[in-house]
Amino acid sequence: MLKVRSGDLDKMGLLFQRYHRPLYGFLYHMTSQRESSEDMVQNVFYRMLRSRHTFTGEGEFKTWMYHLARNVLKDHFKKAGREGYSAPETEWEIRDDGILPGEQLEKKMELEMLLQRIASLSPESREVLVLSRYQDLKYAEIAAVLDISVGAVKVRVHRAINQLKTLYLQS
Amino acid sequence: MNSMNCEKRKELLAGWMDNQLTEAERAEMEAHLAICAECRQEMETNRRLWVSMGEVPVPAPSDKMQVRFDAMLETYRQEQTNRRPGLFFYLRQLFAVRPGFTWAYSLVLIVVGVGLGYFLNRPAGAGGGFGAGGDRGLASGGGADKQQLQTLSAQVHEMREMVLLALLENPSASERIRGVSYTSEIKAVNKNVVNALLSTLNNDPNNNVRLITLEALTHYAEDPLVREGLVQSILHQESPLMQAALADVMLKLQEKKAVRPLKELLQQKGLNEMVRTKIEQTLTRLI
Repeated sequence: MLKVRSGDLDKMGLLFQRYHRPLYGFLYHMTSQRESSEDMVQNVFYRMLRSRHTFTGEGEFKTWMYHLARNVLKDHFKKAGREGYSAPETEWEIRDDGILPGEQLEKKMELEMLLQRIASLSPESREVLVLSRYQDLKYAEIAAVLDISVGAVKVRVHRAINQLKTLYLQS
Repeated sequence: MNSMNCEKRKELLAGWMDNQLTEAERAEMEAHLAICAECRQEMETNRRLWVSMGEVPVPAPSDKMQVRFDAMLETYRQEQTNRRPGLFFYLRQLFAVRPGFTWAYSLVLIVVGVGLGYFLNRPAGAGGGFGAGGDRGLASGGGADKQQLQTLSAQVHEMREMVLLALLENPSASERIRGVSYTSEIKAVNKNVVNALLSTLNNDPNNNVRLITLEALTHYAEDPLVREGLVQSILHQESPLMQAALADVMLKLQEKKAVRPLKELLQQKGLNEMVRTKIEQTLTRLI
């Protein structure tokens, strides 16, 4: 990343290749919207380019990336709020997987239900779960992204799992 | 089992599944799971949930993202090459890296501002208070204004030197390079700056920084102190790149004093062959 800062823009392409998928995954989990998530990935990388001089090399690149992503998300929700709430486009496109045997179909429905339940968690809980389960961040890294202590991260993850469990078992 | 303890441990369950616990926490957790049925059951439910979460399908981003990104990068690159970074850009970078500078600059500006106001309103000649001074000050203004302006520009100059010296101490090589490039904005360098630059030239771990410093110093070669320092630096340099660059500089300056250290350099074992040839050529043209 330090190389990008001193103007080597080609390195930015490398970073994009390495990180755009996980970043997309994070944004998708936070919004449940495909198109917007892609727009936001673009937006995050644009901000990185613009503000690469603020990246001092202290702390990890990943932390910085999620910081920017959270700001972009905040703007996104603010805008969405202004334009009226648009329901997450839960795309239950019936993919043509052929006819699934009963057991597999059941499994698939169960997982889609779980995805829906994750989406219905409070943003705060969803965020820690997504960061620890899907983005493979260490608690210390999550703490740096969210600007809270490692202890607080532990408590939040615990709480989030319990919430998800309650939601999931209800269904 | 103490339920209070269990509650505390349950907080660690997620970390246990996620492999985020320290060795000690992990051992304790596992020992506890072995004896506490309630926690074991909770762990099992959590674990199943955790595994299921891993199987949830997440759509992959579309391929057009890469295309969009490449287009954006290209546009940005063009914008950048069209716009030459000005002094403002460098200042902004400086502040971005060292937020402390913002305060320092503000403070200096305030002090300078107040100082200027005070000087302008002070009656010419000594004595007198603030109040009645204005008119008289203006009347006999000319010379005093000039003097104040000089003081002021001297202060600005001094500040630039301070920034330069601070940047030379920075652990990041690119910061130090920027520090060196500051010399182009300082008309006359004083002894402190020369010494700092010479010490960078001789001791900086980074080749690029030393090269840039050498280039900056050659601008002040008419100063005998700088000349002397450059000559002495010949034997300090171990990198072939620097040795060759110094030989070039000596040739350009037609510095006869360099002959002796260059010859000494030739005696050194393990001298790079290219450098050896270069120095031999330089010597023939110097003598």
